[in-house]
Amino acid sequence: MQEILNQEKSIYLQIKEMIEQDILRDILLEEERVPSTNELARLYAINPATAAKGINLLVEEGILYKKRGIGMFVAEGAKAAIMKKRKECFFDDYIRGLLLEAASLGISKKELIEMIAGAGEQDEEASGNA
Amino acid sequence: MEQLICENISKNYKSKDALQDVSLTLEKGKIYGLIGRNGAGKTTLLSILSAQNPPSGGRVVLETEGESLPVWENEKALSHICFSRELNVGKNTSLSAIKIKDYLRTASVYLPYWDQRMADELIRKFHLDVKQKIGRLSKGMVSMVTIIVALASKADFTFLDEPVSGLDVVAREQFYRILLDEFTETGRTFVISTHIMEEAADLFEEVVMIKNGKLLLKENTQELLETCVHISGKAEEVDRAAEGLEKHQEERLGRSKSLMVRLKKGQKIGKADVTVQPMSLEKVFVALCGEEE
Repeated sequence: MQEILNQEKSIYLQIKEMIEQDILRDILLEEERVPSTNELARLYAINPATAAKGINLLVEEGILYKKRGIGMFVAEGAKAAIMKKRKECFFDDYIRGLLLEAASLGISKKELIEMIAGAGEQDEEASGNA
Repeated sequence: MEQLICENISKNYKSKDALQDVSLTLEKGKIYGLIGRNGAGKTTLLSILSAQNPPSGGRVVLETEGESLPVWENEKALSHICFSRELNVGKNTSLSAIKIKDYLRTASVYLPYWDQRMADELIRKFHLDVKQKIGRLSKGMVSMVTIIVALASKADFTFLDEPVSGLDVVAREQFYRILLDEFTETGRTFVISTHIMEEAADLFEEVVMIKNGKLLLKENTQELLETCVHISGKAEEVDRAAEGLEKHQEERLGRSKSLMVRLKKGQKIGKADVTVQPMSLEKVFVALCGEEE
């Protein structure tokens, strides 16, 4: 969660995504406590209300839950839930833009598929040489 | 809930109308950013809010403990408010001969909730020599003194006018952390007037923008930034995307065009082949306050 905040997206969304990313990377495990809004605010020099907004979105989605008086914890099944959500958004987040760009460059779908199929093999060769 | 309410404030001087019909409410437990160009009226507004300057019209009221207290010459109301001004230390002003410790001692007389322990802690953190005269301090150290007054005042409503001018980037980041620590611990309201808004933008829960003595907007910072977008591309496409929307800072270069759009509730950018980008608070400010009327 030590990424630098940028201006591409609302701060509270970046906080939300950073926590999700940490859960995916096993930096935050299920049933573990996540930093409080005040800790996050201090870490990133942001207003606590902004940090709270990001955390609350995760609570609404069931990724985090609150233990009264103790703090926020990663919910059971959070990792799987995040992966499922990101899979559902994968087309909109990555494919749609890819298709638009390919179209503007005159790259056919067939060529795209060939590129994707070929990419896997190149990576395997590279890791074989490493 | 404690609130500091500004009702139809105006301030007229012979040469200009410094403030016109400004009404706003400051709530307890928020950090506000007060931004505006030089001469827009920010310092005037802060001094009227803290009853250091009488308004020409309108009034300022503090709602606290169930009472509604006009702040003017009201000791009870003013005990909750601290305005730490930017210190202008000319060589021959009386201020320049005063030692830091005496300046702080004077401040403590006017601020009933003064926390000397906090002042001492900050003096140590900022490596200040309290026996030094203010006239001999660097610009950065003078800023640090005003910051100490503001924070140690422990006032419910604390105003800082250009607190970071003269501070290097390391000292500025130190200040933001100190401010956040104090804020999260006490829930005091802070209003920070600054030109260096990009760094501080993330600290402001709400931003108050003053333009030519009038209140241009008072909005949640994140929401403001979500509704202001930069659109660029081929001129016709940009016009199509921005059709019917509030446009600012239109610029043309050859066949391309760029502008900023401020979306109102429910509005969306029209479908067009354009590049849409978010804007920083600074850029939004320039787009809204940099225009000639």
